Amino acid sequence: MDTLITTLSAVTPDRVWGIDVPNYFWFTGSSAAAFIISSFAHVFGMEKYKPIAGFSLLMALVLLIAAPMNLIDDLTQPGRVMNFFLNGWENFPTSPMKWGVLLLIAYPILIFFEALVLYRPFFVKRMHNSSGIKKRFYLILTLGRKQINEEESKKDHHLGFILGAVGIPLALCVHGYTGYILGAVHANSLWSTPLMPILFLASAMVSGTGLLLVLIPIFQKFFTEQKRVDGSIIAELAKLLAWFIVIDLVIRALWLSFAIAFGNDPKNYLVEFFTIHFEMTLYVEYILCLLIPMIIGFTKLRNNFPLVFITGIVVAIGVWLFRWNTVIGGQTIPRSTPGFLEYTPHLLGQGSITAVLANWMLFIALVCLVTAFFPWDEEMSEHYKNKGLENE
Amino acid sequence: MDKSKREFIKGGFATLVAAGTSANAFTLQNPGRDAKDSRYIGNKLKQYSMIIDLRQCVGCQACTSACMVENSVPNGQNRTFVTEMEIGEFPNVRKSFLPQLCNHCDDPACVPVCPTGATFKREDGIVVVDSEVCWGCGYCENACPYDKRFMNKETKVIDKCTFCAHRVDEGLLPACVETCVGGARIFGDLKDKNSEISKLLANFPTTVLKNEQGTKPQVFYIGLDGRVENLLNATVSLDDMMREVIGLKPKEWATQRGDK
Repeated sequence: MDTLITTLSAVTPDRVWGIDVPNYFWFTGSSAAAFIISSFAHVFGMEKYKPIAGFSLLMALVLLIAAPMNLIDDLTQPGRVMNFFLNGWENFPTSPMKWGVLLLIAYPILIFFEALVLYRPFFVKRMHNSSGIKKRFYLILTLGRKQINEEESKKDHHLGFILGAVGIPLALCVHGYTGYILGAVHANSLWSTPLMPILFLASAMVSGTGLLLVLIPIFQKFFTEQKRVDGSIIAELAKLLAWFIVIDLVIRALWLSFAIAFGNDPKNYLVEFFTIHFEMTLYVEYILCLLIPMIIGFTKLRNNFPLVFITGIVVAIGVWLFRWNTVIGGQTIPRSTPGFLEYTPHLLGQGSITAVLANWMLFIALVCLVTAFFPWDEEMSEHYKNKGLENE
Repeated sequence: MDKSKREFIKGGFATLVAAGTSANAFTLQNPGRDAKDSRYIGNKLKQYSMIIDLRQCVGCQACTSACMVENSVPNGQNRTFVTEMEIGEFPNVRKSFLPQLCNHCDDPACVPVCPTGATFKREDGIVVVDSEVCWGCGYCENACPYDKRFMNKETKVIDKCTFCAHRVDEGLLPACVETCVGGARIFGDLKDKNSEISKLLANFPTTVLKNEQGTKPQVFYIGLDGRVENLLNATVSLDDMMREVIGLKPKEWATQRGDK
């Protein structure tokens, strides 16, 4: 029988990672997912994703530019960012955070160039129709290739394929490494599992698809020539979402069964943890945000556009909650002093609710900026014209 | 562009180039270790370690106070602390104390994850943090299985026990050891076979906290009751339980009030 221990005095342990970190993980994850969905068309040549491939690529870019701001905000000495680049390279093999620097730099650059290649014919047209400084600006965006002909467009296609093919592993790494950050912490019983990187990737595919289910209809409805939502692609995405949820659920089942049912000592802490958060985890995270969307995606309900739109919002929030429950929840598990912790983010200042909201505002601002610069709408309409969907 | 502006930009650019190419700017470790500063390197001939003889500890918290004063630790934060517990239920109950501090692990979990090289193990085994390099990401704090790192409220960087390296380098004992009334903390050099700590380790069964973490802690305990490590059987600290009752300001991270 266990002996009761009454703690008379102890120290409440210090914890560092607040609301910024789950938000960062959500952003990088959704970026990776958006990139992979765009690659379905660019690399795997899947025709049905062609109309949204360009837009998804731009979203991947924007999400990944906004994401690292969360990290800088979470630092207590953000002015020392240069120390990260200048020192401590001996820890490169063992510090997943260190890998992040290369990935967070390489990945957005790659997406940017892929977008330039993809939209090059449109930039060339714009260059010919403008003069002065504008002409020079578009000339730079075309990267000096000013011709539009069969040969050049073949070259574009080839370049797009190569960049997309290199980008897929990079996208997997840019989010997989965040899973590594947590998985590498063997001191934390919730985080410490080799499944963490793929678990993060699987749930990222869910949140990224959810985000596209929200953004694509809004942009198609209000910012394109045809002014209408392409219901078939939305239903297609909803079905894809359902498959991503299946993968996510399988990996979660593997994770929880090995950690709890077949686990050793830390399992007792995890049982206690999931008992505390039972309602939230089961009813909200699993049933509302995964199972119901999966049913919608696999049945005829996916043709019901308003329902699918709401599903997009729900799964995106659900994955955010999963990130929160993992990052914050993992830190609430006791290690040296008894008692689970609880976290209440403050309202203002660094690492606060306002800071995260500001990051979302930055994301929206960047979406506006990037969609204003890149002719995604022209490109999208062209696909619909080719498919003859315009008069559908 | 006028001339002064151009000169200014030129000057700024030249400074950047100079900074970028100077020997200390880009380093595999950190500037202090590259410069072979003795505070960073320590004494190669020593291997510092501590034994805590729980039979001698009376739970007076003198070590806690001495540490706070010696190291100017901000109010409400601790590099070392003595957890006070009651084991069992009336009438079969006894008091138990568990002094805790950084274990200065031989294979620390905190050091390899540091992305700036700010935290490292000296050659004499003391794990330290360079407060001028640390950028406060907190990865090491999460990696430490013992919760012995914290974000210093004043310096805004990670702080932890240093075995009072500044005193040890001068041939003094750590403040907590110096002040311990029962002689429960014994500090010394494991490479010196005649030191008190080597003799104690040779003659008494000792144990470490969370051996299963594989970090090879260098703080050994004599008389540690394994039951105190099972935190799920323990109530949360009375301080935390009372926090809400007496209307203290809620902390961002606080212990949940347990029902046990």
